[in-house]
Amino acid sequence: MRNLQNSPRDHATILLVESCSQECEKFSQISLNEKWLLVICQDGLEAIQWLNDNSSADLLIIEEDASPISGYQIADYIKTELGLALPVIITTGEIPSQQESRMLAYAEAIIKKPFNDARVVFQIRKTLEKAIVISPEQNNHYSLNYLIDLSGGDKQFISETIQLFSSSINLELQNLKQVLFQKDYLRIREIAHGIKPSFDMLENEKGKGICHVLNSEAKEMEMPYLIDQLNSVFNNMNNQLIKDFPELNLK
Amino acid sequence: MKKILVIEDNPMVIKSLEFKLTKDGHNVLVANDGREAMKHLKENEFDLILTDLMLPFVTGNELISYIKKNTPNTPIIVLSTSTQEAIIMEAFNMGVDDFITKPFSPNELSLRVKRLLGKN
Repeated sequence: MRNLQNSPRDHATILLVESCSQECEKFSQISLNEKWLLVICQDGLEAIQWLNDNSSADLLIIEEDASPISGYQIADYIKTELGLALPVIITTGEIPSQQESRMLAYAEAIIKKPFNDARVVFQIRKTLEKAIVISPEQNNHYSLNYLIDLSGGDKQFISETIQLFSSSINLELQNLKQVLFQKDYLRIREIAHGIKPSFDMLENEKGKGICHVLNSEAKEMEMPYLIDQLNSVFNNMNNQLIKDFPELNLK
Repeated sequence: MKKILVIEDNPMVIKSLEFKLTKDGHNVLVANDGREAMKHLKENEFDLILTDLMLPFVTGNELISYIKKNTPNTPIIVLSTSTQEAIIMEAFNMGVDDFITKPFSPNELSLRVKRLLGKN
């Protein structure tokens, strides 16, 4: 995955997927004041097409219930298929706090409708600033800080633990798919519980968060989507590890 | 050299515990599930046991009962995740000595192990 390059807050390019023309108008005015370049797309597919052609946006703001593909799915596609570490803000109406915390597993922030100018500006600035911190040398998929701290930087231990992560999570994700097919929801919760520390040890908050939700509060109907998400998180981590540690021959 | 049994099924957690405890000078034996743990417990004596509570085949609570019945003086540290409060409380009621959250803090692990081994 390509990491986001440093980008100034002024003149940031923001891709907006919004179906309500009044809200688009509001956003245009805000963007003008803030000197952001706003690209409005009718739907998620147009946003994907735009990114395919340009791939230089700094932020995607998309409706949760975007048509024909939901905001989640678009965000997922952009990250996993296009390989862009593009920060995403999901816009939504009033939702229960439980659903809100779940959404944050898939996006950097949430903006609630109807849009309030000050809140929108604050949230976008905050998200853009966070993205600026990511340099090309770093990645946001994993960190070895915990393993380094634990082992005092022992290279052999770190390499072997990375190999264990890659092979064991790969296997458990296959198991998850199988037990999902069998509708063994209790086993899904057990597996998620078991692998949560692995994501935690490589400091991937999203993977850890999805495992937590799967283990504790996910409804059965939500499990297929969450397992897909966990797969994407793992694939991103694993691809980055393959790239960073070619000598380990990870698969 | 103290003998420690680690009962855990997450391979990364096992590797980390093995690394840290061995580095601290302990002799570590690992069981990946409840059955293997029972086998080790029948064949060996341990100075300390570190165990997960959600294990394949034999539950953590069954193991704790077994240990408390057969070697009541062997200290037990439960390896838990933060979501298991009720289960941890139950384990304490069964007589476990301490608990550590996964993934563990290396220094915290060393200190807690040292404290319990010192007691014995």
